[in-house]
Amino acid sequence: MKALRRHLKDVNRNRALLLMVLPATVWFICFSYLPMLGTIISFKEYRFSGNFLSSIINSKWVGFDNFKFLFRTDDAYIITRNTILYNAVFIFIGLVLAVAMAIVLSEIANKRLAKWYQTGMFLPYFLSWVIVGYFVYSFLSFDRGMVNRIATAFGADPVQWYSEPAYWPLILVLVFTWKSLGYNSVIYLAAIMGIDKSLYEAAMIDGANKWQQIRNITIPMLTPLMTILTLLAIGRIFYADFGLFYQVTRDSGTLYSVTNVIDTYVYRGLKTTGEIGMSTAAGLYQSLVGFVLVITSNYIVRKFNKDNALF
Amino acid sequence: MSNTRKKLSIGLTSILATSLFLSACGDNKAANNSSASGENKGEAVELSWYTIGTPQKDVDKVMAEVSKYTKEKIGVTVKMTMIDWGDYNQKMQVLTASGSDMDIMFTASWAFDYVQNARKGAFAPIDELLETNGQGIKQVLDPAFLEGSKVDGKNYGVPANKELPAQEVWRFNKKVLEENNLSLDGVRSLESLEPLLKTVKANNPDVMPLQVDKNYGPYVPYDYLIEKFPLAVKLDDTSYKVVNIFETPEMKQALATMNKYYKAGYVPTEAATLESSTDVIATGQWFADKATTQPFADNVWSMSAGYPIVSTPQSDALIYNVSVMGSMQAISANSKHKEKAMDFLNLLNTDPVLRNMVDSGIEGVHYKKLDDKYMENLPESKNYDMPTFSFGNVMLTYLVEGDPENKWEEFKKYNDSGKPAVLLGFNFDPSKVSTEIAAVQNAKEAFWSPLMTGTVDPEKYVPQAIEKMKAAGLDKIMAEAQSQIDAWKAANNK
Repeated sequence: MKALRRHLKDVNRNRALLLMVLPATVWFICFSYLPMLGTIISFKEYRFSGNFLSSIINSKWVGFDNFKFLFRTDDAYIITRNTILYNAVFIFIGLVLAVAMAIVLSEIANKRLAKWYQTGMFLPYFLSWVIVGYFVYSFLSFDRGMVNRIATAFGADPVQWYSEPAYWPLILVLVFTWKSLGYNSVIYLAAIMGIDKSLYEAAMIDGANKWQQIRNITIPMLTPLMTILTLLAIGRIFYADFGLFYQVTRDSGTLYSVTNVIDTYVYRGLKTTGEIGMSTAAGLYQSLVGFVLVITSNYIVRKFNKDNALF
Repeated sequence: MSNTRKKLSIGLTSILATSLFLSACGDNKAANNSSASGENKGEAVELSWYTIGTPQKDVDKVMAEVSKYTKEKIGVTVKMTMIDWGDYNQKMQVLTASGSDMDIMFTASWAFDYVQNARKGAFAPIDELLETNGQGIKQVLDPAFLEGSKVDGKNYGVPANKELPAQEVWRFNKKVLEENNLSLDGVRSLESLEPLLKTVKANNPDVMPLQVDKNYGPYVPYDYLIEKFPLAVKLDDTSYKVVNIFETPEMKQALATMNKYYKAGYVPTEAATLESSTDVIATGQWFADKATTQPFADNVWSMSAGYPIVSTPQSDALIYNVSVMGSMQAISANSKHKEKAMDFLNLLNTDPVLRNMVDSGIEGVHYKKLDDKYMENLPESKNYDMPTFSFGNVMLTYLVEGDPENKWEEFKKYNDSGKPAVLLGFNFDPSKVSTEIAAVQNAKEAFWSPLMTGTVDPEKYVPQAIEKMKAAGLDKIMAEAQSQIDAWKAANNK
C-alpha cells in the first residue's frame, strides 16, 4: 500500500515528462511491439480462417521451411553480397560526402547562396524512385537517351545501358548519392550550426587556419553524431532500397547479377505464390541480422568511447 | 527501486493498451453477430461488396437506388466499396488476412488471385449455394465457366458471362498496311510476318514494324501451368506430359525468329525493359503487334486508338483457365449472409434492370435509354463510370452507339465455337514446392523478357536459363506438377 502510494507520488511528480513520452510510447506499442507478435507467421503456412488471430492460430506450423527459399541457390550469395556491398558503400559515401558537403556549406560566406545550394541538394530526396527511374531513363535510353545522343555526336558507339551489368554498380551509387546527399548533409549542417562559436574564435586567436579549425574543432564535435547515424545505418544494412534496385534499373533481367538484392529477390520470388509466411520469414531474417550487427558494432564503439555508443 | 517501478508501470500500460485493442476487436464481432440474427426476422440485410475500379463519386447515390430495388426483390441492401486498380491486390490481401467483414468481392486470375486465395481460404465454396439460390446463374452461364473455375473440385466464385475462349491475333495498323499494299492472306505464324515486316522496315523508317514490350511472349501451342512460368503441357498431348517450355522445338524456333527480327531492327531495341506499348499505339507509329481478341475487337481497338486497326488470327480460339477466370465475384468465407449474397449475385446475373443500374447508374441521371436495346451516356456519367466486365453477365447490358445490334449473339456464337484447352479445370497447387518456385522465379525472370523479345541470342542463353532453373529446383516442381496432373486426369477420366 505504502509502495503504491509512493509509486503514485512518483508518477505525479513526473507527470509532465510522462505525458510527453506517452504519444511515442503508444506509437511504439501499436506499430512496433504489437506487430512483433506477427513474426510467428514466419514459422507457419498462413491460411485464412476467421479473423487475423484465429488465422494465425489455425495455420500449420512448418518450422524453418519458410526460410529455405532464401538459401536455395547460389543466388543467396549474389543477393547477400549485393545488399551488403551496396549498403556499405552507401553508408561510407553518406558519411564522408555528407560531412564534407555540410562543412563546405557552413563555410560559404554568402548565406543566401548557401541556402540555395542546400535547398537544391535537398530537393531530390523528396522524389519517388519511380520518377527518379524515369530521369535516369531519359539519360540512358538507347535511342533517345541524352548520354547516347552525346556519345554518337562525338562519333562513339551508343551503349545499351540496360543490358550492360558492368556499368550499374557505378550508376546506382551515383543515383543514390544524388538523391540522399542533401538530406544527410542537412543533418550534419544542423550539428555544425550548433557548435559553440567561441571555440572557433579562440582557435583563430591562437592562429589556427581554416583547415586546422575543421580538423580540430568541427570534426571532433561531429563525431558523436557521425557514430550514431552510422550505427543506425548498419542496423539497416540488410535492407536494400527496393525502389533503387527495381525501378531505376527498369527491372532489367540482364542486370540481375549486379542489381538483385534481398528485397527484389523476395518480391520476384513471392509475387506468384503470395505466401505471407515466406515474406515474413525474409523480413525476420533481415531484422535479425540487422539486430546482431547493431549490437556488435555498438559493442565495438563502446570499447573505444563509451559516450559515442547508442546504448 | 523507483526505476523498477517505472519499468513495471510501462509494462502495465502496455498490457492495458493491448487489452484495449483486443476488446475493441471483440466488440466488433459482437455487433456482427447481432446483425446476423436480424436476418431471420425478415429485415433487409446489408451486403458489403468490394470491387475493382477507380472509385466513383456517385457510387453511394447509385447504390441507394440499387438498394431500394433489391430490398423489394430479395430483401438486401448493398454497400459498395471500390478499390483502385493498382491498390486492389494489396488492400484486399490485408482486408482478407485481417478477417474484415466482407460479403462479396471481385477476384480474377490477374487481380486478387482467384485460385491462390480460394486455396488459402478467402472465399466460401458456392457449389451448394448455386443449387439452392443461384439457379439463374447456372442457366445463363456456359457450363465451361463453372467447370473451368473449379479449384480442387469446388467452385469459389461466379464468373462473369463474357467472351469465353481466348484467341491470339496479329493486330495491324491499317494505314501502314494500305500504304504498302500489303495483304493479310497467309499471315498466321510468327514466321509468316517476315515479308510484311521487311517491306514496312524499308518503306517506313519511322514506323516500328513489330511492336513488342516486356510482357510479350510468342504464341506456342502449349497450355501454361502458371502464367509466365516455363512449365506447360502441349495442347494436343493426350498423355498430359509436363515439359519445360524452353526445351520445346516450337519455343526454340520462335525465340530464334524473334532474335532474327531483333537483329533486323523489326522490334524495339529496348523491348525487354519496355513496360507497355501504350505510348507507341497512341502515336500510331507502329505496324503490327500481338493481342488477345474477342468479337468486334477491331472496332473497340480502332475506337480507342483513334485510327483503324485490323487483325488476323495466329491461334485457335481455346478456353483456358485464365480465360474463364478473367472476372469473377466471390463470396467471402467470413460472410454472415452467404445465402443473401448468392441471391444478390443471382439477380445481378439475370436481371437486366439491376445489371444496368450497377453498370451505368440511374436512368435519367447517368444515362438515357434510346430504345429497348440501346442507351446513351449523359454528362453525369462521368461521376459513375464503371468497368462493365467486372460485375457479371455482360450480355444483359445495353448497347451504345457503334455497337452492332447482334453484339451479344455474336459473343454467344464465339463462346460456342471455343474448344477447351488441355488443362482447363486443372489448377496447380504450388504449396508443396513454394520454396522452389520462389527460387525458379528469380532464375527465370533474369532470362524471360530478354529471350521472349528476341533481345538476346537463344543459342547461347536458352541453355543457361535451363541450367539455372534446374539448379533452382525446376525438376522438383515439374515432378510435383506431373503427379498432380496425373491425379487430376485419373479423377476426371481424361
